[in-house]
Amino acid sequence: MKKHISKLPSIIFLIISLVFLYLLIIERNPSEIPSALLNKNIPSFVTESLLKNEKFSSKNEFGKEVVIVNFFATWCKPCRDEHIYFNRLLNEKKIKIIGVNYKDDSLKTTKWLKSLGNPYSNVAIDKKGKIAIDWGVYGIPETFVVNSKGVIKYRHVGPINEKIYKEISLILNKIK
Amino acid sequence: MIKKILIFGFIIFFNQTFLSTSYAVEPDEVLKNNKEELRARKISKNIRCLVCQNQSIDESNALLAKDLRILIRNKIQEGKSDKQIYNFLTERYGDFILLKPALKLNTLVLWLLPFIFFIIGIFFVFQHNKKSKKI
Repeated sequence: MKKHISKLPSIIFLIISLVFLYLLIIERNPSEIPSALLNKNIPSFVTESLLKNEKFSSKNEFGKEVVIVNFFATWCKPCRDEHIYFNRLLNEKKIKIIGVNYKDDSLKTTKWLKSLGNPYSNVAIDKKGKIAIDWGVYGIPETFVVNSKGVIKYRHVGPINEKIYKEISLILNKIK
Repeated sequence: MIKKILIFGFIIFFNQTFLSTSYAVEPDEVLKNNKEELRARKISKNIRCLVCQNQSIDESNALLAKDLRILIRNKIQEGKSDKQIYNFLTERYGDFILLKPALKLNTLVLWLLPFIFFIIGIFFVFQHNKKSKKI
């Protein structure tokens, strides 16, 4: 019995090492924070609209169909990189996409959308970053998928790439 | 040579003791009411800067940290209690935003494991001592 007990520390050490090894090997981004808003209703807001002459009200935009929400800015380089995927989402999936323009210059954004193409049905202006905080955003670009009841079903932090595009496509097929 | 090492040591000491305790709060953020400002500072010290991870928003120069500091001050001026402010933040960013995790059912392991390991450690030290006394 005593012999076995003396082996225990080595066994515990081995188990802990294996746990660390596992955490090293699996695909994991430690800087990614799980969203506290998943499966919750979207935080509502009213603000200026970049594209329309009327106020942007979340009440009018959500709750009728599946909507993709993208927090972006012209000064953010990854936003430019991911932009083609939103054009693709619109063309291939015919989905409603809403942009939230984070701490940006409206004139620059209008030009930016003209040159890169505008996939957004409406763009909310978030001059002071308050809407972003309300949505738990901590680094743009960030993208949300909201179902037809206005509930957040998916969130991605960082630019969209081929892999994430497929992930979003799968989710869109699932929730509809 | 020794002089150089001493100066180097002094710089490191100076950095650690004075500069690391410097704060990022900017003059335009500070509230006029001293009591309210102290409350804001206390809350800010418990809130993680999400883009720098191991700093509180009180110490961070990140833009998001500044936004959150201002938000906390606005909430205080609106008459919100500390608990309401913490709730507002965790509802949006999860428990991760708190530098000290709350004692909940899903964090119980995190809080209890160190004590369990400590007790196991003591047990082994005693076992070891017993053995060596015999010899």
